[in-house]
Amino acid sequence: MDNVSYQRFPTVRIRDIKDDVLKFELRDTDASIANALRRIMIAEVPTLAIDLVEIESNSSVLNDEFLAHRLGLIPIVSDRAMEMRLSRDCDACDGDGRCEYCSIEFHLSVKCTGDQTLDVTSLDLVSSDPSIIPVDAAGRAADMGGFESNDTRGILIVKLRKGQELKLRAIARKGIGKDHAKWSPAATVTFQYEPEIHINEALMETLTLEEKQEWIDSSPTKVFELDPVSQQVVVVDPEAYTYDEEVLKKAEAMGKPGLVEIYSKEDSFIFTVESTGAIKASQMFLNAIEILKSKLDAVRLSFDTEEADDQFGELGAHMRGGGI
Amino acid sequence: MNAPDRYERFVVPEGMKKVAYERDMKVMNAATFTLQREDHTIGNILRMQLHRDPSVLFAGYKLPHPLQYRVVVKIQTNSQSSPMQAYNLAITDLTKELDHLKATFEQETNQKQAEYY
Repeated sequence: MDNVSYQRFPTVRIRDIKDDVLKFELRDTDASIANALRRIMIAEVPTLAIDLVEIESNSSVLNDEFLAHRLGLIPIVSDRAMEMRLSRDCDACDGDGRCEYCSIEFHLSVKCTGDQTLDVTSLDLVSSDPSIIPVDAAGRAADMGGFESNDTRGILIVKLRKGQELKLRAIARKGIGKDHAKWSPAATVTFQYEPEIHINEALMETLTLEEKQEWIDSSPTKVFELDPVSQQVVVVDPEAYTYDEEVLKKAEAMGKPGLVEIYSKEDSFIFTVESTGAIKASQMFLNAIEILKSKLDAVRLSFDTEEADDQFGELGAHMRGGGI
Repeated sequence: MNAPDRYERFVVPEGMKKVAYERDMKVMNAATFTLQREDHTIGNILRMQLHRDPSVLFAGYKLPHPLQYRVVVKIQTNSQSSPMQAYNLAITDLTKELDHLKATFEQETNQKQAEYY
């Protein structure tokens, strides 16, 4: 009884890996694991975000709370977030921004003096820790001397007119997406079942060339193609299939039911992970695994409940007439 | 106003047990586990893992209410096992699976990056 295990051994094949996008296939596990990891990446992988703003002066057109909200939504490089503490659990401080374990202070001080409208962006935020800065600023530092387009100018916070001023102190804290979406590192995380498409070749050959083309065109996405040489219908991109069943309906309408059979493989998933830039997409997935592990560990039964049940079990056995 | 604090969704209140275990008084080898501040993420993986165990006769979970942040997992086993044993085994197996997944994923990313550079 001791050495039983119903463990699975999932496999992974990575298709595309960039800092902010990750595409991979996950096989030999079930939808519950795939979905748990997806849910955790969206709602439980921690990042840093501005959580407290003290405004010293604000003569801009946006009111204070509007600005505070905009500041909160700026993604911040959060590679250290997994090791940091939540302000609530930090016993070294009261979460006021001067604590190395749980918070980072930012300052912003801009005044428009020229006749031109002045853009206040995330690049104007001055961090107390040079390794923790808004995401786009990090990107800018990385590819200096690249292109001078709009996307290297940071995230716009507010525009100032001549004479207007903005001065504030902001504190970034660790948090999770479950608390507020600003802490979610995920832009999108999706998974799809891998479709398995079988064409009934014998039945397909009973169709004329025009009918074949008509049937192929009934799919809203480009899944099938007519081979120009053999004039046979071939599957070009099974993943383009959106489970819309249009081709099945079309086959039915043409009086050829069973022309094609489409299944979804129950143990094979294609994941797409997109990050806001706060954490690398691949790191997001690894963090999700770690968090799921610690969640499982947290729901382990405590020793005293197990012990109490053992005694209860004996008592129960006695009550039922003793012995087994 | 009277909105509950957002952290109430994931912080177990002081004095409350994370996992409560209650034996079924009418059915042999049946029990209910109440997991505080957990949701479908944990409930569903536990249930699916329990279904892989042949000594588990029944395993199911529910979220009683979207604003009560707890899941209830019910397990019934045959005489070869007990709900507690099955529950512990499911957690151990899932942890091992995740360890394996992590190792495989790291190996694959390293390989992919080696190809790239």
